[in-house]
Amino acid sequence: MRTIAIAIAVAALAIAPAAYACAPRASQASLETKLVCIQCHTTLDESSSPFANELKVEVARRIALCQSERQILDAMVAEFGSSVLSTPQTHGFDLLAWILPIGGIVLGAVALAFGARYWSRSRGPTRVDSTEGSGLEPEDERRVDEELARFD
Amino acid sequence: MTRILRAVAVASVLALLGLLVWDLANQNGPGVAAAVDKGKAVPAPALNLPRLNGSGTLDLASLRGTVVVVNFWQSSCYPCKLEARDLAAASRAWAGQGVVFIGVDAQDLKSAARAYMRRYGVTYPNVRDAIGKTWPKWGVTAVPETFFIDRRGRVVPPHITGQASRRAIDDGIRRAKQS
Repeated sequence: MRTIAIAIAVAALAIAPAAYACAPRASQASLETKLVCIQCHTTLDESSSPFANELKVEVARRIALCQSERQILDAMVAEFGSSVLSTPQTHGFDLLAWILPIGGIVLGAVALAFGARYWSRSRGPTRVDSTEGSGLEPEDERRVDEELARFD
Repeated sequence: MTRILRAVAVASVLALLGLLVWDLANQNGPGVAAAVDKGKAVPAPALNLPRLNGSGTLDLASLRGTVVVVNFWQSSCYPCKLEARDLAAASRAWAGQGVVFIGVDAQDLKSAARAYMRRYGVTYPNVRDAIGKTWPKWGVTAVPETFFIDRRGRVVPPHITGQASRRAIDDGIRRAKQS
């Protein structure tokens, strides 16, 4: 009886598909959005070119080998360089792609703030001081006063 | 303050102009293919890439003095498969007669490229251009394309686009040897 149980267990192990030997740690769909077909410059999920299909098969093969998403992306970068990634990396030279737009926005905001401050100062006060004269000649002012006096 | 703002604006405009000039100066144009198709002989662009079958790099400049057949291909390209055995046979036939064949595999998985070479019996030197950076300089638009370089390092007609027949390969080599 024990011999039969061992034989069944051995047979079960022998016929178990390789794919079940490990639990996949990466998603094909997710990786296809993170990798670019370098021939057509679109992400793999949007491309059906022969090269994109070749990469999809390679990704599936590596997933079946239980490689993590990081491992698969690193392998693709080792093969084709960082241009195979749909977004720039967050280290090395590629980091500039993230920093420059943010730096540009900050610089623009600072320039705008300085510009606005300078502009508002250079225009000077626009308030009319009621204690100052009306700006009329004395003769005209006298005539206005006379005319107004007639309404009193 | 006005002076600073003006200086920043002028510097920005100058920087953008500089970028534009740099971009125009670094454009590759139609590559050598267009000139060769018009019947001209033009200096071969630099080609120094890692070997696909072997270690280290292969520099085209080191082959000056020999006739070189440069074939651009990809493992997923059907016409490349159709011409692969003819190229391999021609490379064997012309061996020892001052003719060297070089394959340039571009935008391809290394494993797929090596399997292709084994399958079609390609044993002549092949290099790998991972992202196809050599294509613009040569004017390659779609693989396969085949160029012939004379002993003086000039790309000479004919330039074969699409599947190259054995006869076309031999004819190109003869013309490059006479050039």
